[in-house]
Amino acid sequence: MERTSSPNMSAASYRRPFGIFFLALMSFVTLVSVTFFVCIVLIMIVKGYAVIDWDFLFQESRGFGTEGGIRSQIIGTLLLALGAGLLSLPVALGTALYHSEYLGVRFKTITMQLIYALNGVPTILFGLFGYLVFGIYFGLGISWMSGVLILSIMILPTLVVSIRQAIDGIPGQYREAGLALGMTTPQLIHGVIIPQCIPGVVTGLFLGLARAAGETAAIMFTATTFFGVDIPQDFNDPVATLQTHILILTQEAIDPAVTDVVWGSALVLMIIVLCFSATALTIRARMRLGS
Amino acid sequence: MTFWLLAGLFIVSSSFTGIILVFLLSGSLPIFTVYGWEFFIGTEWFVGEAYGALPMVYGTIIVTAIALSIAVPLALGTAVITSEVLTQNARYILKSMMELMAGVPGIVYGLLGMVLVAGWVQDLFGLIDGNCLLTAGLLLGIMILPTVMTLSEDAIHAVPNTYREQARALGLHKHEIILYGVLPEAVPGIVGAVLLGMSRAMGETVAVMLVIGSVDKLPTPLYNLFAPAQSIASKLGREAAEAIGVGLHWNALIGLGLILFTMVTTLTWFGERIGWKGRLHRI
Repeated sequence: MERTSSPNMSAASYRRPFGIFFLALMSFVTLVSVTFFVCIVLIMIVKGYAVIDWDFLFQESRGFGTEGGIRSQIIGTLLLALGAGLLSLPVALGTALYHSEYLGVRFKTITMQLIYALNGVPTILFGLFGYLVFGIYFGLGISWMSGVLILSIMILPTLVVSIRQAIDGIPGQYREAGLALGMTTPQLIHGVIIPQCIPGVVTGLFLGLARAAGETAAIMFTATTFFGVDIPQDFNDPVATLQTHILILTQEAIDPAVTDVVWGSALVLMIIVLCFSATALTIRARMRLGS
Repeated sequence: MTFWLLAGLFIVSSSFTGIILVFLLSGSLPIFTVYGWEFFIGTEWFVGEAYGALPMVYGTIIVTAIALSIAVPLALGTAVITSEVLTQNARYILKSMMELMAGVPGIVYGLLGMVLVAGWVQDLFGLIDGNCLLTAGLLLGIMILPTVMTLSEDAIHAVPNTYREQARALGLHKHEIILYGVLPEAVPGIVGAVLLGMSRAMGETVAVMLVIGSVDKLPTPLYNLFAPAQSIASKLGREAAEAIGVGLHWNALIGLGLILFTMVTTLTWFGERIGWKGRLHRI
């Protein structure tokens, strides 16, 4: 066969080597990115593991964070996140239901874009906003309540979008069956849509909790104090959180004992956040498999 | 009853973006009436004397650019391999891992950056201080990598199989199928993913704040990536608590916030428009 003498021969001859080179390069790149994250996780575990024990988790911190445990910080982080989640949930559910069941088609895109825009707002701006509006105008000061309000606004888009996607995923027959029974829209919402979108609601809630638990910028000067609070007795008390604890101690740490506390706190924070995200992702994966 | 309840909640949540914009506009009005355009082009920031936003804007742009130049090639390569080469199970594992990593808090990256990366940069380039634009950019690059990767992977994976089959039937090799058959179809989704990652990098506060060096000056010369600098978000994080909500200092900070808001919202808007309709960067 004289195919090799065709004019395309030179073009054809480098196809295979180039293909091998391309795929090798991409695989290398993949390996690099995976290595980054494996390293991050390993560093966190190696540095944090040595510090974490029962005393570290369940004792109050003493001596400005240099001794003792991080009980109050863990409680603070969880309180803020859970408060924000609980406050955000009904608002997000109502928003998503209204958006899908009542809102005219013309307004659907524009309002969804407003929600996306809110999701994109840098978290530090929520901090500024909350500091002035909740802290000063509403007179809440630096308090647990300010933090909960700020974080609940911040995670609202995550919840809304997740619930909205779940509502979209409800099979048309369910809706039609409800309508055929003569259900009104409110009845349809109570009887069909809410029960069917529960997995989406839970997914959104956990994604939101993960976001809220990991957030620092929005709460660092609006809701948290570095030291001296165990469990807030009042909505107007500030809380201590893992995020602030890490932030302040990293900037001031010279003492190796303090550095240990920081790594320990960071590992605990990461575990809390990853637990929330993993729960959300698992439920979502189940939901997709089911449908 | 149900209607009004839902409508009320809906109005509340869709008005927050507007409320924040109004808050930023009204809060920054005094600085614009006093300084006018000087605020945007001023290069000095001394509390009580001069408020110029340019160093912070420049820092934000440079840090974001470094982050993108690291994150985009890595994310795209990983996304291509994950979607087109790996088996179903391997893809699932890698995707879940990336989605989890996308949620790692900024403060954890800040800690890693401050304790480790800054030291490495310092030693590697023989600097006096490792807290500089490059360190912040590197850190942000790694931070947004999972977001960009998982969203662009979604876009690549969503290209219908007919494209792959037809390219294969034409006798194209694997890499040609990817380059000429699949990727061109996924471009809008990828661009959207990159823009969303970019807006995330711009708005990140704590991770940047800890490693950027916090010096409110333009680097000299301008392309010096080893100079300590400041981004808008890190500036706000450092100074907002000092400004206690009143006075020109506060107005100037809110003005910076307005610039950041405008930059990020524009990117998010384009990202959502160009990208996959109805997608949100997830965690």
